Amino acid sequence: MAGKIACILTCAAALGAASSHSREIQLPTETTALRASTLPGYRIAAQKCSICHSADYITLQPPGMSLKQWTAELVKMQHAYGAPIDDEDIKPLAIYFTLTYGDAGTVSDADRLLPGPEPSVAGAPIDVQALLAKNACLSCHALDAKLIGPSYHDVAAKYRGNAEAPTMVGGSIRAGGANKWGPVPMPAFPNLTPLELQVLAAFVLNQP
Amino acid sequence: MAYGDSPNRLPASSGRRRFLRDAGVVLAAAGGGGFKSMAATQMQPFGNGERELVAYPQKRPLLRITTRPPHLETPFSVFNEDVITANDAFFVRYHLANIPLAVDLATYRLRVRGKVGSELSLSMAQLRALAPPVEIVAVNQCSGNSRGFSSPRVFGAQLGNGSMGNARWTGIPLRAVLSKAGVAAGAKQVTFRGLDAPVLPSTSAFVKALDVDVATAPDVLLAWGMNGKELPFLNGYPLKLIVPGYFGTYWVKHLSEITVIDEPFTGHDAWFMTTGYRLPDNECGCIAPGTTAPKTRPITNLKVRSFVTSLANNAVVKVGRPTMVKGIAFDGGSGIKKVEASIDGGRTWRESTLGANLGRYSFREWTVSITPEEPGPFGLLARATAVSGETQPGEATWNPAGYARNVIESLNIVAA
Repeated sequence: MAGKIACILTCAAALGAASSHSREIQLPTETTALRASTLPGYRIAAQKCSICHSADYITLQPPGMSLKQWTAELVKMQHAYGAPIDDEDIKPLAIYFTLTYGDAGTVSDADRLLPGPEPSVAGAPIDVQALLAKNACLSCHALDAKLIGPSYHDVAAKYRGNAEAPTMVGGSIRAGGANKWGPVPMPAFPNLTPLELQVLAAFVLNQP
Repeated sequence: MAYGDSPNRLPASSGRRRFLRDAGVVLAAAGGGGFKSMAATQMQPFGNGERELVAYPQKRPLLRITTRPPHLETPFSVFNEDVITANDAFFVRYHLANIPLAVDLATYRLRVRGKVGSELSLSMAQLRALAPPVEIVAVNQCSGNSRGFSSPRVFGAQLGNGSMGNARWTGIPLRAVLSKAGVAAGAKQVTFRGLDAPVLPSTSAFVKALDVDVATAPDVLLAWGMNGKELPFLNGYPLKLIVPGYFGTYWVKHLSEITVIDEPFTGHDAWFMTTGYRLPDNECGCIAPGTTAPKTRPITNLKVRSFVTSLANNAVVKVGRPTMVKGIAFDGGSGIKKVEASIDGGRTWRESTLGANLGRYSFREWTVSITPEEPGPFGLLARATAVSGETQPGEATWNPAGYARNVIESLNIVAA
């Protein structure tokens, strides 16, 4: 009864002056992007940095920063801001940023030729847990609770009975997306192989 | 509770949001959602300084620093329009990308907790009823305002001089709320958290702390009004902490939680006090470039600054004729004593006439007449002195984060 009275009061107030009770904004679409590159650091950056911030956080930085300075900044991102980058990500990221936005002269010839991650060997087993960890998937998704992104349970429920689901979900992981599940966009994961995408999509869609 | 899972925030995909879209007010950017960013750009006078002018909700086109989270800078010409910065031109700065996109006053509550006699959960209506509203004119300036001019350059948001603004804030003293809750004896600090949150749990939340004696000073407000209007959403609707004389980092937006603590503020969510927003702990807050400060302290009070607003860099004035120059000055709360201008490289200074006094935390307008006698380029310098005696250094100091720049500004002007 008390609840009902409270509702009458607040609802009446809300109806009487709806405009004084709620405010909502829509932000302009994100348009900035990192400069595409064949360097291994590009794909790591496109995928991991963009989890927490837009590309202009990087493209805005002063020109002429050295490999040492970019490396220190990445270590700061990893440790001070809790960025989901591994120790082995730091070097390729720093090389990509320095060559693309900084003082390229501070990068040695050997570093310029730093190979990318080993491509998956055809037929080798894929460890889905390692894939989830390596790509920081579980920073934003949980199996059965909404975090930043939807739970895998909710994704599976949405696509249940849809024969195209594995292709659609795999495509969403590869290309990223925005405004489907919430305000924070999901970055693209262009470095995943078709097989890895298939395994991840199956893992998500098999959630109860 | 999962981050971002606050009752104050509305999940963007919820039915609640759909209801709001119908019943409430949707503040869309000019041009509506999904519009292409405008072609207009403005160049800051440092490397990689091109900025797009983009209109955000309730804002005229401003210089976009970053997109997610939004960070917008005021074009400097705005400061010549009025000593009060218009709401739609006031800069916007967030740290963490999980920002609120909707607030409903029916569910919004300000919580007061920690070392208090009784915890509070206040609606805006209850908050407003706690004390008679007060107004104060005060400058809000980013710690990193002018960072782009750091030499050598430093990482961070590459700001020109427009990440500041002066507004008339309306609210109630924070101490009215603290006194309602009853601050426990032995309390040391008060922490402030808003509705903006980190994307990942591994990132610190944005929480700021003030010593109890600062938090209970009469001028510290919880404000809902800005220049006689409701706070713009991106400036912290519905409630913003106003700390006159302090850098903007303390002016927490979308304020939702106040916690009184009786020990130093530490831990995972204290990063923006314990590691970020700190200066070398010496008088100038500066060190030699490339060195490390042995000790640091949290940034606090604004340093005295002055700017010419009526002339832009490379403006042309008449030779042998007087030109009236207008500008603004401010400091950390003692007030402006005088502003002087020089057109001979600082050899001689001419004192300006100060404009209306809107209070010791406000921009102070000033005007001075200059008459260049020779044709050709010259430097126009402006130097403010605060009532406290503090004045601006002739050479810029340096600190690793590029905070608190306050060197005497110099414009290149041409007499013809």
